[in-house]
Amino acid sequence: MATFFQQFITSLSVGGLYALLAVGYALIYSVFDFTNFAFGAVMMVSAFAGYFATEFGVGTLPAMLAAIAAGVLLSVVVELTAYRPMRKKNASRLFLMISAMGVNIFVTNLFLCLFGANLRTLPTGLSSNTIPLGSVQVGAIDLVALIVSLTALLILWGFLYKSRPGITVRASAIDMNTAGLMGINVNRVSLIVFVISGITAAIAGMFFGMKYTVYPAMGTISNKAFIASVIGGLGSLPGAVLGGFILGVLETLVSGYISATYRDFFSFLVMILVLMFMPNGLMGIGNQDKL
Amino acid sequence: MSILLEVKDLHSYYGGICALDGVSLHINQGEITSIIGSNGAGKSTLMRTIAGDKAINSGEILLEGEALPVNVHQVAAKGISLVPEGRRIFPALTVRENLILGTCANSNYKKAMQETYEEVLTLFPILKKRLHQSGGTLSGGEQQMLAIGRALMAHPKLLCLDEPSLGLAPIIIDEVFDKIQQLNRDTGLTVLLVEQNAYLALDVAHHAYVLNTGHITLEGTGAELADNESVQDEYLGIRR
Repeated sequence: MATFFQQFITSLSVGGLYALLAVGYALIYSVFDFTNFAFGAVMMVSAFAGYFATEFGVGTLPAMLAAIAAGVLLSVVVELTAYRPMRKKNASRLFLMISAMGVNIFVTNLFLCLFGANLRTLPTGLSSNTIPLGSVQVGAIDLVALIVSLTALLILWGFLYKSRPGITVRASAIDMNTAGLMGINVNRVSLIVFVISGITAAIAGMFFGMKYTVYPAMGTISNKAFIASVIGGLGSLPGAVLGGFILGVLETLVSGYISATYRDFFSFLVMILVLMFMPNGLMGIGNQDKL
Repeated sequence: MSILLEVKDLHSYYGGICALDGVSLHINQGEITSIIGSNGAGKSTLMRTIAGDKAINSGEILLEGEALPVNVHQVAAKGISLVPEGRRIFPALTVRENLILGTCANSNYKKAMQETYEEVLTLFPILKKRLHQSGGTLSGGEQQMLAIGRALMAHPKLLCLDEPSLGLAPIIIDEVFDKIQQLNRDTGLTVLLVEQNAYLALDVAHHAYVLNTGHITLEGTGAELADNESVQDEYLGIRR
């Protein structure tokens, strides 16, 4: 029972990070109808920024801020250089997605050339590796990651549902053309969503870096979050959160009780089963093709 | 009487197809101006071009003597609010959120949320009962009122209505047109109305134009056009 409880906390923490990343995908998909595959690179670069910050001797919190700054910067630069000029020319969203993949490959390989493929350890800054919770010990970083990702999701929800700029983001996701008629500057909305997705990528990147290691190919972790957002329904934010937690719990429990070898097998199996019976995902709407 | 909006020799194309072929017209301050015409005459294109939603190919549109900006959200900020054809409210957002979005074109949105918000809810009391319901659950008539209310939240100089009677029951149409006339009469709001229902459009108009395959073919007061034989024949279905 104690093992199960430990596993469950770990799974929720992985789920929370997947949920954060999946929300980053879903937010951009909901507004611009394409999947931002450069997201993994943003996550990796943020983790590197956090790593270099700690190398300079700063604490975990300033390192997290450095990671967020790097994530936001890269996310916005990619939007301004790779996506916006294409949207201006009314490029099909398929080409936007290819552009995103190009950015991902470019940035990943750039970091590989600059820093090598070494695994770097990102210190957690926590005094102990475990925290006693009742009679069991749970991973300290797991608990912190879970609390931070839940807090970030809550803040994001408040922003999108309660604030004026948040409402303009949701309106643009529903009907960008009419949003323009309302006087909403769609380019401003695009900055908002890319800033938010940069922040989510940075937080997740830091925690994945602390839980595992920092390396140029770590962006592939975000592919799992993409699966999570497909399970939840592309473009649906509540769906992305749900999908993230489902995937996180499933993966950890499969690794813990069956075998880590079968982890990805089960992730994809769930995705296929969901898509077979609910082609729009668990909470998706509309039936347009998914890219 | 001063001219609020002037359209000069406007041409507009969809690809190679000409939708507006040299349209010139003016809209007087404080009046209701109607444009009537059959399907495909270019009414909605004209409306979208004035609202900045479609690019001008040649010619110009002047608001109070000034050329309009290029981007649609800037046009909205200059004081032109369009109630689009088919209403186009945001169905997943609540009525209140839809109204808040209307203020995005308003430089003083805090004041708009205090004053204009109350005015809109007084004008359309039904919206007050539906404030926290999502827009998609409203009936067609309520959605049209929400779309008009949303446009009013911007406190526009010119309210453009594209086919406000589309898909509504006759009794609701009367109500919507009463509200439009009431707005014009009480607040002096300038209105541009595009309608297929020529009878209604001419009935409320101070000034009216007939648009036919991208040209203005006739203009006059609403009553003059309603008495015109060719208008009666082609648009009002009166035969002698």
